[in-house]
Amino acid sequence: MTLSGDAAVGRGLENDVALAAAGDASAFERLYRTHVARIYSLTRRMLGTHEADEVTQDIFVRTWQKLGQFRGESAFSTWLHRLAVNVVIERRRTFAINRERMTDDATALDFVAVAPARSDLAVDFEHAIEQLPAGAREILVLHDVEGYKHREIAAMLGIATGTSKRQLHRARMLMRRYLGESAPASGTTRDGD
Amino acid sequence: MHEEWTDKLSDFLDGELTPTEQRAVEAHLRGCAACSAILEDLKRVVERAREAGAASRPPQADLWSGIAARIDDGRGAKAPAGRSPSDRPSVTAFTDRAATAFALRTRRIALTLPQLAAAAALIAAVSGALVWQVVPRSGGAAPSAVAERRAAEPPRAPDAGAEAPDATDRIVPVVMADAQYDAAVADLEKALQHGRGRLDAATIATVEHNLQIIDRAIDQAREALAADPANTYLSGHLVETRRRKLDLLRRAAALTSESD
Repeated sequence: MTLSGDAAVGRGLENDVALAAAGDASAFERLYRTHVARIYSLTRRMLGTHEADEVTQDIFVRTWQKLGQFRGESAFSTWLHRLAVNVVIERRRTFAINRERMTDDATALDFVAVAPARSDLAVDFEHAIEQLPAGAREILVLHDVEGYKHREIAAMLGIATGTSKRQLHRARMLMRRYLGESAPASGTTRDGD
Repeated sequence: MHEEWTDKLSDFLDGELTPTEQRAVEAHLRGCAACSAILEDLKRVVERAREAGAASRPPQADLWSGIAARIDDGRGAKAPAGRSPSDRPSVTAFTDRAATAFALRTRRIALTLPQLAAAAALIAAVSGALVWQVVPRSGGAAPSAVAERRAAEPPRAPDAGAEAPDATDRIVPVVMADAQYDAAVADLEKALQHGRGRLDAATIATVEHNLQIIDRAIDQAREALAADPANTYLSGHLVETRRRKLDLLRRAAALTSESD
């Protein structure tokens, strides 16, 4: 890896953004190929596998439509990611997934109380995320996986910062339980509130 | 009971506690093996989440062909604000939807008599709230084609239509103000209320439930916009959510006609 190589890659992406904004579908396909894994992963974790393909496509179509609004004030990947999060949140609201967002469902993972095999921890982790209640999953993904701050999450979701913190703790406790980390004795702790 | 302490462990881990709280938790952890173990577990969960974030997985199927098709056939019509005014005349989400209805009407789609009656009723209901200017153009495209192109455009934030309308466009919808939107909603709600007896209870419950959800979303968007009036995403979200309400009401009103 060299600086000049990185710079060349960066210039290539910048060029592709400019070309795609001007209507070059080939350049946009290159942007898609560069970013699809991250966007798809975000979508799958937030919405589940069954919706991930469709919503990922929606995100890239929306990106194509809105490229003219990208001013280069942040990295394209950052702008794209934020757009993707907005589309996902909108999707969840549209389909009323957030009905259960703030419900008290600490037993969500009871049916998977047996710790999974430890040989494929990455898959186990992804599977555990999909089992979380919607509200807890949303905030765990945004905070712990994607790195957003509580105040940012609160603004995006229209909730209080304290609610975001509580949901995150609840999600982590449920994940801890599912992943079998020092499996807790029944009744010694409360997993959600 | 460790709840009062375990409930603080995530905030402790993230450095979200006040210095006083932080010291109190530290003091507790020094004497509590159970809480210390939970804290270590939470650290591992966070670490695992970060690892997951760094290891993205592409979709199993190649999604590009579907995206390309939507871009090519106009459903993903490109409309960058401020870049090419002729690409994207100013329209609102509501007029987009009306354009869709117009396009549907002009396409040769087979409709049953009740459906046609419902469509006519809907057009009548909405007509009081939408104002259309049909601008003649010599040798121009048929209105239906323009309407279809309009329908393909994404919803816009109310303040995002600064560019001049394309002189080649046939239909220039005027922005629907709150009063107009409210009038359209009121008309449709009245139509729905009038035909309510023709729907079964489950359908009514579903419609009402979804309307409640949309109303909550509208309220949330309005509150958020009040706090951040310049946020274009919120503006667009509010427009989109209001459009969804109108759309749901239209479909519900149509159902009452279809049940005749």
